[in-house]
Amino acid sequence: MPLSPTNYYGSGLEQGYWGLMIVTYPYISGLVAGSFVVATLSQLFGRKRLAPLAPVAAILSFALLLAAPLTIWGDARQPSRVYELITRMHVPWSPMALFLLIWISYVVLMLVELYAVFRADNAARAEWAERPVRAKIAGLLTLGARSRDRRSLRRDERIVRWTAGIGILIAFLFHGYIGFIFGSMKSRALWSSPMMPVIFIVSAIVSGIALVQVAYFGIAKWNGWKIDREIVSELNMWLIGALLFDFYLDMIELLMSGVRAYAPEETYEWFSRLYFHGPLFWTYFLFQLALGVVVPLVALATRRGRASIVNSGVMAVLVLMGVYMMRWNVVAGGQMASKVTNDIVSYPLVWTGYDSVQTVLGVFGVAFLLFLLFAWIFPWKAGFEGTTEPAVTPPAAGPVPTTPATTSPANQPTPVPSTSLMGVLEDGSAPGLLGATRKRDHSGIQ
Amino acid sequence: MDNPQLSSQVGAKHTVSRRGFLGALTAIAAAAGTAGGWVGRAAATTIKPVARPAAAQMARLLAYYRTRPRWASWLVPELNVNDGWQQWMRTILNSKNLPIAHDNFWRLGTTIAQPHHWAMVIDERRCIGCQACVVACKDENNVPVGVFRTWVDVVETGSMVPDPAGPIVTDAGNFRSEVKRSSMPLICNHCDHPPCVDVCPVKATFKRADGIVMIDYDLCIGCGYCIQACPYNARFFNPIQQTADKCTFCAHRLDRGLLPACVTSCPTHARVFGDRNDPTSEVSVLLATQATTVLKEDLGTDPQVFYIDREQEVYDENSTANTVYPYTANLNSTDYATLSGSTPPPAATGGQG
Ligand code: SF4
Ligand code: SF4
Repeated sequence: MPLSPTNYYGSGLEQGYWGLMIVTYPYISGLVAGSFVVATLSQLFGRKRLAPLAPVAAILSFALLLAAPLTIWGDARQPSRVYELITRMHVPWSPMALFLLIWISYVVLMLVELYAVFRADNAARAEWAERPVRAKIAGLLTLGARSRDRRSLRRDERIVRWTAGIGILIAFLFHGYIGFIFGSMKSRALWSSPMMPVIFIVSAIVSGIALVQVAYFGIAKWNGWKIDREIVSELNMWLIGALLFDFYLDMIELLMSGVRAYAPEETYEWFSRLYFHGPLFWTYFLFQLALGVVVPLVALATRRGRASIVNSGVMAVLVLMGVYMMRWNVVAGGQMASKVTNDIVSYPLVWTGYDSVQTVLGVFGVAFLLFLLFAWIFPWKAGFEGTTEPAVTPPAAGPVPTTPATTSPANQPTPVPSTSLMGVLEDGSAPGLLGATRKRDHSGIQ
Repeated sequence: MDNPQLSSQVGAKHTVSRRGFLGALTAIAAAAGTAGGWVGRAAATTIKPVARPAAAQMARLLAYYRTRPRWASWLVPELNVNDGWQQWMRTILNSKNLPIAHDNFWRLGTTIAQPHHWAMVIDERRCIGCQACVVACKDENNVPVGVFRTWVDVVETGSMVPDPAGPIVTDAGNFRSEVKRSSMPLICNHCDHPPCVDVCPVKATFKRADGIVMIDYDLCIGCGYCIQACPYNARFFNPIQQTADKCTFCAHRLDRGLLPACVTSCPTHARVFGDRNDPTSEVSVLLATQATTVLKEDLGTDPQVFYIDREQEVYDENSTANTVYPYTANLNSTDYATLSGSTPPPAATGGQG
């Protein structure tokens, strides 16, 4: 009997109650944790070449973080009672009850981090931005701390380092606990595994790196910047490292569940019925393993492959797809394995309405809108090469002049550089705060 | 790139047109998708709480139920609003106000002197698979269509064997029936270490000191965690009230001195209910004198529903050819698709099935 959304409810003893929203939840929170990790590569681990990407990664992470609860909120059958997660929090017994605790501490930490990352640039923008509303917002975001001398930049850097260090723990907790929700369920043979949190965290890092890569390409194309191949290669190196670890874990899982001699009976039976011969064969072997892990590993193995922008872009998209498929295989696979009969429980894909493709797109839409909003609010462009904008009319304001001579003088009241010099010290030097201000020296327009 | 001023203008020139169009497009698409998703979500949920009847109709209904007290329909879950029937926790789920636990269940066993510890023994030798208990439970507890608080798997194994002298005459020839039928009543086990209770993030589900595992429907946020965590598939989402739901051992009846509805209705006395703390109760005697098993014992949930003469695994994991489900089946499954004809059944192999 083909199932449609209309007869999806109440038509069977066993049902896959956790639908696409719960597939998407670990995916989005994985992107949160993964892009945060990319930000920390320069903030904490000294990979200065990736420094320009750190603000973008932090903004991405924050936008996704704010969108992540929409998935579980949309999945809950009684969304109006969500406040009980605070008032009746069942900690530490219920892993799910930890959600709000971890989420709120993550949000607070991100606010502190974003404040410190952008404070100096905001202070500069507050002084120099042409549009009063931007100057106002930037001024507000500094919370009144507008000094840009060496000492305050050092202090910012210290705060960022601390928040990155603590944040990486919270990011792992935020994503690891989701893996634990699945891993702790002894009722489901395919979920119950101590490996789950690790598998989830590693694939989160994989997807986060790929997301930052894709975002970098998108931003560069959008703004007409030249893509820095060194950044791309370096990101690809990290991606390969994470992918190798991911591949290792996948292989362990395959061996420990898919070989009759090694696996518990129930685990083997369902693993083989669903992934080897069943409905998840293609999503597991083709999309998750082959296209999501093996092909990117091979394609990025050579130096040329890593420096090629098309190749890196395609591979990053494949990796993102592969990780989504991994979430699908875990969430759907666990529930397709019946607990009380020998059936494979149907797990229909719902297109519209509750828990559907449409809702998932909506959540991603919210995340994207939030990203656009934050990208507008925060001065994240400072670190990129070639982004310096000289003292001309901002492109968004009216028809773009073809030569400087036609520029309306009304639009440029003073020749003070606008966004181009944000973050530069008042004494004219660039201290290299998080690497973000360093490249500005080369722009030659100081 | 040499002239930053020029390059920025060139860059700016193409970004303007793209930004305007693509930006608007993505923003509109994202907003529309979001709005649509949430509208769809709202549409999917708003049908759930059944609208209360209008005041006048309500008054008529209440007058009616006052004269004929009985469990009302889902439309009117309370007999008399002044009785506090809608206060589930106090008057229905736990009218004796027993201590409850959301975790650390050993406390119930050691530190609280409890009068009862309810348990059920199901004697499979007696069960005839008539489904009377399923119907009684649906009736007693207003269990909506499509979901079950208790169900009885009735399984036939074996096959129809072609036999010229067989009593079953069909167009394709005569057959002799070589089947064995077994039936297996299933219900929430009211585990002494219920994983479903531990995992609830808002402490909506709890274990009473007399052993009954229950859900406070006014607190459940409908996350589904407990449903996933129950190894016996005893829990489900109630499609009307949109919360987790399951067997309560008919706590509302027990608290008033009655047996559970399924026990009362069983024509063969296959379901025996009683107090394990009372050594003279029938369950205690059966447990002391009969070999019993529990389901999935290795999971350590310590079920309080015991089976006498439980059939061994009747399911054949590789084939549905010789398995028949006359009454209950998981409609959301590949096996059902096979049995109902939408998937061709595996080729019959004579007497082997
Ligand atoms: S059978 Fe399932 S629902 Fe009932 S107490 Fe045990 S774990 Fe909970
Ligand atoms: S569905 Fe309800 S009872 Fe079950 S775990 Fe979630 S909140 Fe608790």
